[in-house]
Amino acid sequence: MDNMKVLTNGFIKENPVFILVLGMCPTLAVTSSVVNSLGMGLSTTFVLICSNIIVAMIKGFTPAKIRIPVFIVVIATFVTIVDMTMGAFMPALHKSLGLFIPLIVVNCVILGRAEAFASKNNVLSSTLDGISMGLGFTLALSLIGAIREVLGAGTLLGFAVLPKAYIESPMLVAILAPGAFITVGFLMAIINMMKKEK
Amino acid sequence: MKYYIKLGLILLAVCALATGILAYLNSVTAPMIAEVKRVEAENARKEVMPDATDFVKKTMVDSSEVDTDLYFIAVNEAKEPIGYILTVALNGYSGVVKTVVGLKNDFSINKIKVIEQTETPGLGAKASTPAFAEKFVGMTLPQLMVKKDGGDIISITGATITTRTVTNSINAGIKRLEEVLKVEVTNG
Repeated sequence: MDNMKVLTNGFIKENPVFILVLGMCPTLAVTSSVVNSLGMGLSTTFVLICSNIIVAMIKGFTPAKIRIPVFIVVIATFVTIVDMTMGAFMPALHKSLGLFIPLIVVNCVILGRAEAFASKNNVLSSTLDGISMGLGFTLALSLIGAIREVLGAGTLLGFAVLPKAYIESPMLVAILAPGAFITVGFLMAIINMMKKEK
Repeated sequence: MKYYIKLGLILLAVCALATGILAYLNSVTAPMIAEVKRVEAENARKEVMPDATDFVKKTMVDSSEVDTDLYFIAVNEAKEPIGYILTVALNGYSGVVKTVVGLKNDFSINKIKVIEQTETPGLGAKASTPAFAEKFVGMTLPQLMVKKDGGDIISITGATITTRTVTNSINAGIKRLEEVLKVEVTNG
């Protein structure tokens, strides 16, 4: 497979959130601010790259019958590594993401890529696929996070971007759970529309 | 048969390797995480009792290390006790709300700080803001109730439950501390 294509696939053409619609749980849950989105996206990217590499390496001597449990052990190991190092070095981010980090284990983006891509391709392409899918995921989360943070809190990355009067009584629904569904719905509609026009 | 044993052994080897790596990493990061937590708690105590120079740790229940069972006596430079610090917690609208409370010697509130909450963003989550903590400064036990319940604490608009949670948890915490101190006085 063409490596260049693999590397760019995750951003638009096969974006895990908007096109493949994988990993919706963290997408909906953590995107209430850009910082949370970035933290979640980058942690997922790290786990995705590492698990893709390991899965591509061990695919030769993992019996097909137990491949799923082996993949999950690999993924869970990297998630726990992220959890512990983040707790030690980035306590503030860990506090706001704490609940969602262990959930990366069951994020279907990661198991999905391990099963659909890494277990069929070599280490290099799998690494590129991990980078591409991970960054595509981060990009999608940050976009949703940016829209929700601006509308729901009047800030972007914690800095005020809208007038003070708006910040005092913002459009709260954007930052609450329904806002996540609405934002994702609109973004998917826009992307589908653009795809059709092509 | 042999094939299935082989499968089991491969799975065992994978898990053993993963466990080994994590056990090592845990031994490295566990003390660092504990240190981060300790510094955080220390900072919260300093914030609610800025005049104190040292905190003497005490426990309300024998040998309990749960933070809501602990209290601290705040002392100034001359080693005189100037107040107490409590950690209180109660279930709010969507999870536990934990507050650190600084009390003066007469049990009036010096300052409070909500250190843990998962309340609704924009409504209950305002409990973490300094403006909310401001409402409690100088309050004493009989005043420590939400206005609707007959006290002096004005609720956050749209978040009476959160306000009530914080208020009631502090109220109960002070009562508990008074009980404990009373027992200590009679005992010794």
